[in-house]
This record gives sequence, C-alpha cells and structure tokens, in this order.
Amino acid sequence: MFDSADDEQLLAALRQAVRARQAVPSRFVEMGKNAYAWHNIDAELAELTYDSSTDTELSAAVRSGTAPIRALTFSSAHLSIEVEVAEASLLGQVIPPREGTIETETSAGAAGTTPVDQAGCFAVEPKPSGPFRLRWRTADGADVVTAWVTL
Amino acid sequence: MVEGEQVTELVRTRMRDDPSVVALVARAADGDQHAWDEIVERYAPLVWSVCMRYRLTSHDAEDVGQTVWLLLVEQLGRLREPAALPGWLATTTHRECLRVVAVARRSQSMGSKLEDTLPFADPSAIDQEIITAERNAALRAALAELPEHCRELLSMLVSDPPRSYAEISAALRIPVGSIGPQRARCLERLRKSTTVIALGEDEIPTSAPGGGPRV
Repeated sequence: MFDSADDEQLLAALRQAVRARQAVPSRFVEMGKNAYAWHNIDAELAELTYDSSTDTELSAAVRSGTAPIRALTFSSAHLSIEVEVAEASLLGQVIPPREGTIETETSAGAAGTTPVDQAGCFAVEPKPSGPFRLRWRTADGADVVTAWVTL
Repeated sequence: MVEGEQVTELVRTRMRDDPSVVALVARAADGDQHAWDEIVERYAPLVWSVCMRYRLTSHDAEDVGQTVWLLLVEQLGRLREPAALPGWLATTTHRECLRVVAVARRSQSMGSKLEDTLPFADPSAIDQEIITAERNAALRAALAELPEHCRELLSMLVSDPPRSYAEISAALRIPVGSIGPQRARCLERLRKSTTVIALGEDEIPTSAPGGGPRV
C-alpha cells in the first residue's frame, strides 16, 4: 500500500492516524472501557425493534403538528416490552402481561426497581438520563433485559 | 440511512479477515478485559469521528459512545462476523447519532428537514470513514510495535506542532545528521510490519482502477 520510495506519504498517513487518536477525549475512551463491566449478564436479550424517533412516516406527521410521544418496543423470543416516554417518567407494559419487577440499569449500575402489575404495566420515575436498559424479572426466574438506549 | 448489510459487505471485501480483530473479539467475548480495552483503544477514534460528523455536543457524543460500547458488550458473543466489527461500530454509531439528532429536532419542533443535517447522505462517505479508521488503527498498532527509538523518533516527527530536527536531536540525544537515515530506517520497519502489509495495496487509490496484483 505504501510505495517504498514515498516516505512522505507514509509519514503523512501516520500523522493522520496519530492525530485521529489524540482528538479523542480520554474520558470518551475510559467510558468505553468501563462498559465491559456489563459483560456476561445472564439474561435473555430484548432487542430494540421499534423507535418512533427514527420512524420517518411519524417524523412527517410531527412536522405537520401531531403531538410527539416517543415510543420504543423491545422484543425477545418470548415477550415484548413497550415503553412510552412521558414528561417525567417512562410508562411501559410487558406483553404478554405478567407480574414481576422492572429494574433500571444505567452505566453506573442498578438505579432502582419498580413493580410490574398484573396487566404488565409499570412506571419508571424519574426517567433515566444517559444510556440505560430495563431488566424484567419474575418470581419464578424469568429474566429479560432490553438493549441499551438513550432518551 | 445506511443499511447495515451494505457496510458489512463493503468491510467484508475490503478487510477480508483481519485476524487480529477476530481474535480480539473472541477473547473479549471470553471474558478478557485487556482484549476489550484494546478494541476500545483501537476503534474509539472511529466512533468519535462519526459523532463529530454529526456535530454532536461532547455530552451527546459521550452518551452515544457509551451506548455503542454497551451495545457491543451485549453483542460480543453474537456478532456473526467479527471481522466486520469496524462496519458494525460505524453503522451503530451512525444510527445512535441519528436518534439524538431526531429527538433534538423533534423537541425543538424545527421545521427543516432531517436530511439537511445528515453527513452520510452519500453511503460511500461512511464507507470511507471505516476504511480510514481501519488504516489509522493499523498504523497506530504498527507504530506501537516498533522498537522504542523508532517509536520516539516517528512520534516526534508527526507531532503537532511539528518539531524541528534541532529539537528532536536535543530531546532524543541523537546527532541531527543521523535523523534523516534513522527516519528512513524506521519508516521502512513500519512499512514492513504485518499490520500495515495486511491493509493491502488497494487502500489508497493510487494504482489503476481494479488494482494490480498484490506485492
């Protein structure tokens, strides 16, 4: 790739490579390394399968003045967790409905637990700032965790 | 919107099977924090540069970066093609940035079109971002593996602001007259390092379209 005659070209490429790394704040790199603390959580993963903020049809509706409520859906093989982002809280439902608990996890650790009622409904207050995920558990050992999201 | 598969396809053909990335992903999936740290060190500039293309504030960029790495931790054992990790990272960062931009836009109920602020309207732009990031990562890895005197000399030669030969001579305690020859020898070692050779000759489009045989 680098012609042996052209030291200047190689040095310029090296300069670009070194500077691209120097441009990254060390805090940004440290946060990335710390993310590994979450490795090997033994729970079933519910992927983010719908996010109204990236729904282009909805974006058009918003531009024309419809009320914007952000809605997220997480789906695993066995259930889905639907969440609406309200003013100060998250309102959600586990489908099919089942009692249990929802634990909010942030990059700093567990940030609180809230009950899930018989209708599968729950409310997380206050709504998390920064990346978070929800972990749903039942008394009989079901354990499902959503993908990480940021509001 | 860039399709994940599209980028993956590009990276697959471009990067072939980068053994070091595959090994790092396998070790990180296996519980090796050092391998994970190396992945982050290697690709944080890629994640950062995509965030900067969206002109995110540093707070938003941190949220996006953290989300991307957390998502990767979650996916470590599930990545279908570990060699395509740079593509996965670029696509995921791109998607998370879009989310931030879309949410901000909505809360401000701005009238302008989302498309107006998209830096990757042309899919080849994100491809180029990945290729540049991979080349940069390979060069940094190659630099780190050089003997100390070469590493020091080359680091000073590419420093910002540039250092004069007199400054380099004083700092490294080598005669000014030997800097030129040493520079040539160190660059030759860099050029011969396996990570740089692995990039392949098609990385920089200097040769004829289609490229010649590998040397």
